[in-house]
Amino acid sequence: MPNDPPRPTDAELEILTVLWSIGPATVRDVHEVINRRRTAQYSTVLKFMQIMAEKGLVRRNEEQRAHVYEPSRPQEWTQKQLAGDLLDRAFSGSAKALLIGALSARKASKQELSELRKMLDEYHKGDK
Amino acid sequence: MTLLQSLSGTPLAIAIGWTLLHSLWQGIIIAAALALILLATKSAHIRYSAAMIAIFALLAACVCTLAFVMPQSTKEVRDFSPPGFPAWMVPIDASDRNIPNPLLSVILPWLAPLWFTGVWIFYLRSFLGWFSISGMRKRGVCSPPQHWQQTLSRLCTQAKVSRPVQLLESALAGTPMVLGHLRPVILMPIGLIAGLPAEQIEAILLHELAHIRRNDFLMNVLQRAVEGLLFYHPAVWWISRIIRQEREHCCDDQVVAMSGDAHTYVLALATVAQNRSTSREPAVAATGGSLVKRVRRLLYPEASRRIWTPLPGIIILIATAALTMSAWQPPQQSAQAPTDTPYMKWLNEDVVYIINDTERAAFLQLKTDEERQQFIEQFWLRRDPTPQTEENEMKEEHYRRIAYANERFRTPSAAPGWKTDRGHMYIIYGPPDEIESHPAGSPPREEWLYKYVEGVGTNVFFKFIDRSGSGDFRLVPR
Repeated sequence: MPNDPPRPTDAELEILTVLWSIGPATVRDVHEVINRRRTAQYSTVLKFMQIMAEKGLVRRNEEQRAHVYEPSRPQEWTQKQLAGDLLDRAFSGSAKALLIGALSARKASKQELSELRKMLDEYHKGDK
Repeated sequence: MTLLQSLSGTPLAIAIGWTLLHSLWQGIIIAAALALILLATKSAHIRYSAAMIAIFALLAACVCTLAFVMPQSTKEVRDFSPPGFPAWMVPIDASDRNIPNPLLSVILPWLAPLWFTGVWIFYLRSFLGWFSISGMRKRGVCSPPQHWQQTLSRLCTQAKVSRPVQLLESALAGTPMVLGHLRPVILMPIGLIAGLPAEQIEAILLHELAHIRRNDFLMNVLQRAVEGLLFYHPAVWWISRIIRQEREHCCDDQVVAMSGDAHTYVLALATVAQNRSTSREPAVAATGGSLVKRVRRLLYPEASRRIWTPLPGIIILIATAALTMSAWQPPQQSAQAPTDTPYMKWLNEDVVYIINDTERAAFLQLKTDEERQQFIEQFWLRRDPTPQTEENEMKEEHYRRIAYANERFRTPSAAPGWKTDRGHMYIIYGPPDEIESHPAGSPPREEWLYKYVEGVGTNVFFKFIDRSGSGDFRLVPR
């Protein structure tokens, strides 16, 4: 495996999040998304993304006049990196217990997922 | 370790120990009541409310138990009601402790420190967990596409949520979730918004908004707080499961009520569950209801659900009940009159100085508690200076003297005051007419003068000397 990029800082993580959300984008696109949540300078975003490109966190496509950036690693890979933090791992159980969501804190097993699919198929057949 | 040891003997620790034991049967009763309610109704709203009330009711019961047990535990002076009354069942002095089950008397002082340690661990983990999820509002988040803000406000109106709600995409969230109470934020996993049809996303958002409207985040935090205090209790584990399960069912019901479409919502749930399994999430303790159960309930609401408590839960409850029963054996009232019954204590401690040999022999012959009770009444009646009145001045004076002796003449070596020489004289002859006290003398001494003692004579002297210098005054024989 080629040299893995370092762990992203919080600001870098934010930029990566935008790229994972909207796909490959220019600095202007990224800045626009970030600006919706909090005010940010275009020049700051540009500087960060240039640094990230040097670190290897993003790849830059220079064919167009406006350079297009994309993340160098998929989101799952970075999540694994972030979850590797000892603190997160040790207390993730109690952290999850405090969350409210659409699904339970426990992941559905393979049997449960297939049972779910079966139920939905039957329901569809019943509809028709 | 010595800190724990000294903490374990305190009245508070004993009181907490009793509270923890009582909480076992209290929890069983409350869980049984909840089970009846669960059998009686299918309404998720009622079931959720009942379960929440149950867990807080158990907490309240424990607080009441503690308040009830504490005063008895802290009484330095034993209660001087007629013998047979169990008020002195929970004293703090090791030699006085009258716990029927010998195993229990060893374990009881340690229950409180162990419980306290457990609570600490639980709360520490929860606190640190809180820290890590609070960060999720800022770390790895970005705004969703613009038009979703309008959709969100429309849905807020539909769900009757007045608080400002923020919608964010999150790189760290594996499933949609709600964070915060006063300024709630809905976190959607990246790609979900883009990847699902709009009406499915809306159904999910309605679910989260239902949570927000019901203040579920805050309720969950309070629930976890109670779970921390009662972490040892199997009934609490069960009730918590019910709460979490019914909470989701309530929100599911609200989504269907608001959108009128169960099927779209179910598809959304299934897709989210699917996507989640492929994402790398750290392993997590099992909580919450089963997704299959929820979906079946939504798709086929008319089908009667089997409401069953899982077998392991029942076994745990029965085991807890058995444990409580064995710890609560009634005191042995054998024909041999063992030395630690309340009646023997009355004989050997309360009236030991004023009972004569005939009476003592007669008392020891008695076989039943009724006989003993009657004997005691007659004993005091014989000594009552005013038998026609309600009050027995002699008995009151006697116990006053014991109390005074315990208060004033207790030795540093922790012998109770009534056992000392001064206490002995005080109880038999009452307060002396004159006291000459030389506490600074070498050795320290005290002289008591009684002007007249019936059956002994006039000007009766008693001399007490503290040879050891430790406050232990001994009577000098005449």
